[in-house]
Amino acid sequence: MKIAIVGCGGMGHIHAAAYARMTHVRIVGVCDVDPIRAAELGERIGAPSYTDYGQLLAAEAPELVSLTVPSHLHLAYIEQTAAHGAHIVCEKPLALTVADAEAALAVCAKHGVRLFVGHVVRFFPDYAGLKHAVDGGRIGTPGVAHLRRVGGYPERQWFAEEAKSGGVITDLMIHDIDYARWTLGPVRSVYCLRRTAAGLDYALATLVFASGAVANLESHWGYPGSFRTAAEFAGDGGVVRLDSAASAALHMRKTPPKRTDACARTGEGPAPAAADAAPAPAAAEIPRSPLRKSPYARELEHFVDCLRLGGAPLVTATDALQALRVAEAAHQSARTGRAVYLSSEEGERL
Amino acid sequence: MTPPVKIGMISMAHGHAHAYMEALLAMPQADIAGIAHPSRDEVADVLARTGIPYYADYRELLQTDIDAVVICSENALHARHTIDAAMAGKHILCEKPLGIEVGEMTRMIDACREGGVQLMTAFPCRYLTAAEEARQAILRGEIGEILAFKGTNRGTFPGSWFADSARSGGGALLDHSVHVLDLLHWMMPGAAVREVYAYAANRFQPEHEIDDAGMLHVTFDNGACGVIDTSWSRPRTFPTWGDVTLEIVGSAGVLSLDAFAQHNEVYSDAAGKGAYAYWGDGMDELMVRAFVDAVRSGRPVPITGADGLHAARAALAGYDSVRSGQPVRLA
Repeated sequence: MKIAIVGCGGMGHIHAAAYARMTHVRIVGVCDVDPIRAAELGERIGAPSYTDYGQLLAAEAPELVSLTVPSHLHLAYIEQTAAHGAHIVCEKPLALTVADAEAALAVCAKHGVRLFVGHVVRFFPDYAGLKHAVDGGRIGTPGVAHLRRVGGYPERQWFAEEAKSGGVITDLMIHDIDYARWTLGPVRSVYCLRRTAAGLDYALATLVFASGAVANLESHWGYPGSFRTAAEFAGDGGVVRLDSAASAALHMRKTPPKRTDACARTGEGPAPAAADAAPAPAAAEIPRSPLRKSPYARELEHFVDCLRLGGAPLVTATDALQALRVAEAAHQSARTGRAVYLSSEEGERL
Repeated sequence: MTPPVKIGMISMAHGHAHAYMEALLAMPQADIAGIAHPSRDEVADVLARTGIPYYADYRELLQTDIDAVVICSENALHARHTIDAAMAGKHILCEKPLGIEVGEMTRMIDACREGGVQLMTAFPCRYLTAAEEARQAILRGEIGEILAFKGTNRGTFPGSWFADSARSGGGALLDHSVHVLDLLHWMMPGAAVREVYAYAANRFQPEHEIDDAGMLHVTFDNGACGVIDTSWSRPRTFPTWGDVTLEIVGSAGVLSLDAFAQHNEVYSDAAGKGAYAYWGDGMDELMVRAFVDAVRSGRPVPITGADGLHAARAALAGYDSVRSGQPVRLA
């Protein structure tokens, strides 16, 4: 299967690395408006690089295209790709608005191409396992859930522009919105508080589900610590929870290069005198949760299998659209200060 | 030396009464002069072990020469017990929530002022050493301006009268929101709750009608906003009774409080499950001592009736929000 990757930023590299290790697929081209970025990824994986997507489509005729461009560009690239007749893997969020997401589904249906959306959390084994426990009745009937996703403020500039990324709700909380819907079903109402400041975007959303259960979702850009996710589901028969910080199987803690006051740092000796208390470089600590196959690789392999062998994906484009309905309701609630009610099908506002 | 403060216990209905009693028994500055509780059988063990005199009617206890009372009755009785104690000239430490209705809490505060006695609301979480350090760090400005927060005060189902709203005034949303609300109020001096939005439902104890699942969103008049999970959601197999956590997002940092993180993990075949053994400072002792010290010295109690009203009013407004399905603005 001939694959192209459009958008050679962070996610483009992740997709490329996953496809490169896969059988049945071959990366036939990469594309980025920035020629240096395009050439860099092209060289890394040994594929031709383009700055003009139309040229790539015409020259390489990919069968499947991974769209890893900034979110506000998703719909335009989906339209161009669908018209070319190639199937699509689009990074989350599918679009920034419900209207654009609906247009994306429509154009793919019109051209008979499949649209997969990278809601990768469903492919994380800890999250998949938590859902398995809930579905298996291990906690009885679910009542109260928490989903947490916190990390540094994104470095790439376009994330800071609400019109391009959708901010922390549409870009980051969308993961947990999809996961919450997957696990607890349709959402009935959304109430959301949001605080933003320079280098900070923080949102708390309470989702009440048609089942009567509730979930609170916390998303944080600008958290002064390692990226971290956590989830807890409490039911009338138990609790299941996960925490990426607790399950980091590997920690590397590097000794700072200069360390003149070792005994003070062990806490056993006297504090260093002010004269030699020059600040030592902070020790770098990198928590890791290594897997033979990353969740992104699992996801993309699954999408490729859906194309090769037929079958419905674990997460559909409609799921991505529904997650955006909830995200849009969260934006509306944060803006108006009111709870926003969705119909039982989440189809339209009441 | 000033003689010990003579204290009467009015009702042992709330389990915290036993912790407060133990703290008082261990203090040379206090004497427990009597326990009033409607059922002698329910306190027979305590009476036998401690030798404290028993009163079937709390009003008889109020007629003695006690200086102060500790009220741990069912929530719905707090107002009557407090007002009667105030009229009898006794200082009061009242279990949280202070009351189950704003009007009665105002009357409690008024009665204490008129009676010339002090009213302290029992918010022991202020005596968690980590909470005190968190507050100091916030007041020093270490995390800048407080923007947002997320807290939890989850627990196991308390059963008994807690499940009867006529006696408790409400379920988990009332019982388990006031601790964290008070911590926030205490950490942001001068700030008041402006608006709340709440979810409350019965999700864990289907054989009872009380709300046992709660999520309370709170916005303060300084702009700080957040959410508190108040649910009685800890299963029997959970390694501990519950938690008090509070993460505060500031303009210059994040502060995370996990009040009972100071524990060892105990895995015992005999218990059939793992358990946490807490080894941090005892908050109940410190709070009770602060009350006794205030009564002895005549200095103001550190946590007032107004503090209790502030927290309970926000929780009670949460029930209005549950009924309307929309946020409720506090007057």
